[in-house]
Amino acid sequence: MTEILTPNKLIVRIAWALLLLLAVMFVCSLIGTERISLKAVFAGDEAGSAVNPDYEIFVRVRIPRIVLGAIVGAALACSGVVFQALLRNPLADPYILGISSGAGLGAMIAVLVGLNSAVFGRSPIAVFAFAGAMGTVWLVWFIGRLTGKFHLTGLLLAGVVVNAFFSAVIMFLTSVARSDEVYGTMFWLMGNMAEEDFLVVWTAGGCVAAGIAALFYLGPQLNALSFGEDDARSIGVNTGRTRTTAFAIAAFMTAIAVSISGLVGFVGLIVPHAVRLVLGPDHRQLLPLSAIFGAIFLVAADTLARIVVAPAQLPVGVVTAIAGGPFFLLLLVRYSKKVGWSK
Amino acid sequence: MRQWLLLLLLIFCWMAAGFAFFDGAETRESAGAALPKDVQRIVSLAPNLTEILFALGLDEQIAGVTIFSDYPPAAMKKRKIGSFWQPNIEAVIAAKPDLVVTLEFPQQKEAARRLRRLGCNCLTVNIEKVGDLFEAIDRIAEATGKDAEAAELASNLRSRLDVLSASAAKYERAKVLWVIAREPLRVAGRDTFVNELIELAGGENAIGRTVHKYPPIGSEQVIASAPDVIIEPAMGSKTVSEQQKEALRYWSRFKNVPAVANGRIYVISPDTVCRLGPRLHQGVETVARCLRPQLFAD
Amino acid sequence: MVEMSGIIEVENVSFGYTRQSTVLEDVSFAVAPGTFLAIAGPNGAGKTTLLNLLCGAAKPRTGRITIDSAPVESYTTAALAEKIAVVRQGFVPMFGFSVVETVMMARTEHFGAMGFESKADRQIVNEALELTETAQFASRPIGSLSAGERQRVFIARALAQQTDVLLLDEPTSFLDLKHQVGIYDLLKAAQVDKRRTVIAVTHEINLATQYCEQALLLGADGSSLFGDTAEVLSAEHIEKVFAVAVFAGRIGKEKFFIPIGRFAKDKTISL
Repeated sequence: MTEILTPNKLIVRIAWALLLLLAVMFVCSLIGTERISLKAVFAGDEAGSAVNPDYEIFVRVRIPRIVLGAIVGAALACSGVVFQALLRNPLADPYILGISSGAGLGAMIAVLVGLNSAVFGRSPIAVFAFAGAMGTVWLVWFIGRLTGKFHLTGLLLAGVVVNAFFSAVIMFLTSVARSDEVYGTMFWLMGNMAEEDFLVVWTAGGCVAAGIAALFYLGPQLNALSFGEDDARSIGVNTGRTRTTAFAIAAFMTAIAVSISGLVGFVGLIVPHAVRLVLGPDHRQLLPLSAIFGAIFLVAADTLARIVVAPAQLPVGVVTAIAGGPFFLLLLVRYSKKVGWSK
Repeated sequence: MRQWLLLLLLIFCWMAAGFAFFDGAETRESAGAALPKDVQRIVSLAPNLTEILFALGLDEQIAGVTIFSDYPPAAMKKRKIGSFWQPNIEAVIAAKPDLVVTLEFPQQKEAARRLRRLGCNCLTVNIEKVGDLFEAIDRIAEATGKDAEAAELASNLRSRLDVLSASAAKYERAKVLWVIAREPLRVAGRDTFVNELIELAGGENAIGRTVHKYPPIGSEQVIASAPDVIIEPAMGSKTVSEQQKEALRYWSRFKNVPAVANGRIYVISPDTVCRLGPRLHQGVETVARCLRPQLFAD
Repeated sequence: MVEMSGIIEVENVSFGYTRQSTVLEDVSFAVAPGTFLAIAGPNGAGKTTLLNLLCGAAKPRTGRITIDSAPVESYTTAALAEKIAVVRQGFVPMFGFSVVETVMMARTEHFGAMGFESKADRQIVNEALELTETAQFASRPIGSLSAGERQRVFIARALAQQTDVLLLDEPTSFLDLKHQVGIYDLLKAAQVDKRRTVIAVTHEINLATQYCEQALLLGADGSSLFGDTAEVLSAEHIEKVFAVAVFAGRIGKEKFFIPIGRFAKDKTISL
């Protein structure tokens, strides 16, 4: 943080972080309620005449779930960085502009309408949640722009109001719905990881990776925006285009994450701060490293969620908050002097 | 600008590769149901399904049950595969089932979808009403080759229910308020199997038709419905007698309600009344005891 | 019609924030390249407004503004940033960037494809840090500097932008005497050594008189007066525009003005 960032330093840091991520993913894939032997896994798909359960569990349940956890964690942490930069607000998280209630409402509607068949091979809840999230973000953006182009407070207020409104609608639907439907939605909303088709994993991974790359490209502009709209413009940054692009990409990544796992809180708020505290505020570094550490954090949290109260599972959002909170407070105490917050 | 186009191109190629590679190659839908005689390992994802399987004589074949499958006692020794709300997919697969039996509500439907995608053979039955129960028994029997046992189970159950209904028919129908939660106050409505239990036992639901199956109601409706009997299934870890005391304390505020005035508040064990399964007749009898205690003096 | 030729030309510009009010009325002037221009006037006269108009942040109601012979509107944000660097008042301490990172941001539009600076950029930034005597703070977070030091950093950033024109909004407000003079020395050096055009909105009449060759005096009624400092910043004009009694003095070649209030010890000063 004290010296300026160079490409070499960044590459080295990303490499180490990726190595750590792979190690964590590998270790977590061996942890679970069922004991798996790697040898048995390598025996292949069908051992003898029966299906090989070790293979099934490892390759088709655990690995997809862990990879999805990494994808969701990366998406949430990265969008958290972007929203904090765009709104210039350290309390911003990916859900701040209505995405949480929009996704929840979408999920609830899917459950209530009673869609049984898969939509594009995905569960209907996921698709509706995605649509709800994107639609709500668009709505908030639209209302925010009515208050004056890129007026931050207006945007935040629009987000808060839309969130409150949709949450109320969700509560209303909750009270008229059947209890099992309600439980299903609430459960989904609390954030849960589950395995999916390889195609889903591949697609989501591609979208999120592309999003992170695109945002990295906007890194210097986001740095400039930290000093304010006017300052950034006088340096030559096209603030309007930067804002709109970054916002759209971050919202899209968050919607993908939410459609996969429901609402996992804490990752998008805290991981950016943690990385910023230790490594500094330069977005060229913050974006990729937050993504990687977000992935690590969520994979670890999900593994805990799988084993702590086995055979039941905790919602992963519970683990992220309980485990992440104290860890972050430690970081805060240790590193805040460096940042110069305390004078 | 060039970088953005390059990125879009990369995304497009990535997606195309994904669709080419994975579409169909990895998904393994179950290749059709196994023949009944080949079903050697069965996993049940609900306590009432477990009871049905045991009642059909499938004890040997049961390879996994949920953690709350506590009846018959032999079920508690079986391998646990998660809870009824959250089945543990890994555990189910590790049990190497030939057949997985699930219920039809959203949580379990999702689990069934995931299991089917992983190649497990799933049978989903809907058991929401008494009629459904008989149908479910038939379907499970069909899948496991236990048609004879199913017929016997069904006819036994039916005859016992008939006996109970016959004895109930002689008496006036008491009005029953079936309370499933106290704060906020929630009762069983008419569109539930609990209602069927009440009617089979010779009672009548004090609450009229409602939108919800388990509507939350206010004190007004309690008084207006004027129930003769209040029944609460016990919940949680406190003993039934403790809960009975608490219930009496709670309901004492409704002095004008006939059930309270006559001291006809019953907290009953939930095993046979909250689970729609082969012990249905026991459930009906339990309710009947509350409605006509004088007839069941032990 | 005044002959217009200059790096910045303002022709008959009027502006008001609402339909009824007018802050600037028919302002015209041309700034020759390499000038140090002071924009002075009472509060609310429209100094900051004029600044915003000059850098394209606001559009005039009538008239036009050209930078380097092209109208302001015709510039994209990036292109305009190559012509004009702005140093505004105020600072929002946010996420803890260091001094050198802050100054390096001036080179954002010149970064390579991966978003990193080149050797040339680093050279320019180092020069700017040296010129503003902020090199010793290079690694410190900007929020930990004093106001004066921070102001120098922002000027370094403006210098690193390598533009022909520097626009500053009250660069010495909240600074002590030493830093006030220091900043103006810095700006003068930029003008003289680096041949930049410096335009500073200022309340410091005396410093303007000392350092700036040209001055623009804006009145609260929308009036404007442009020309050489010696003529524009005269006791008569100052008294009229600022609506205050003023004592004009001279020591050697330096002129100075002191406002005189009701409780002045000696109302009949004469030199």
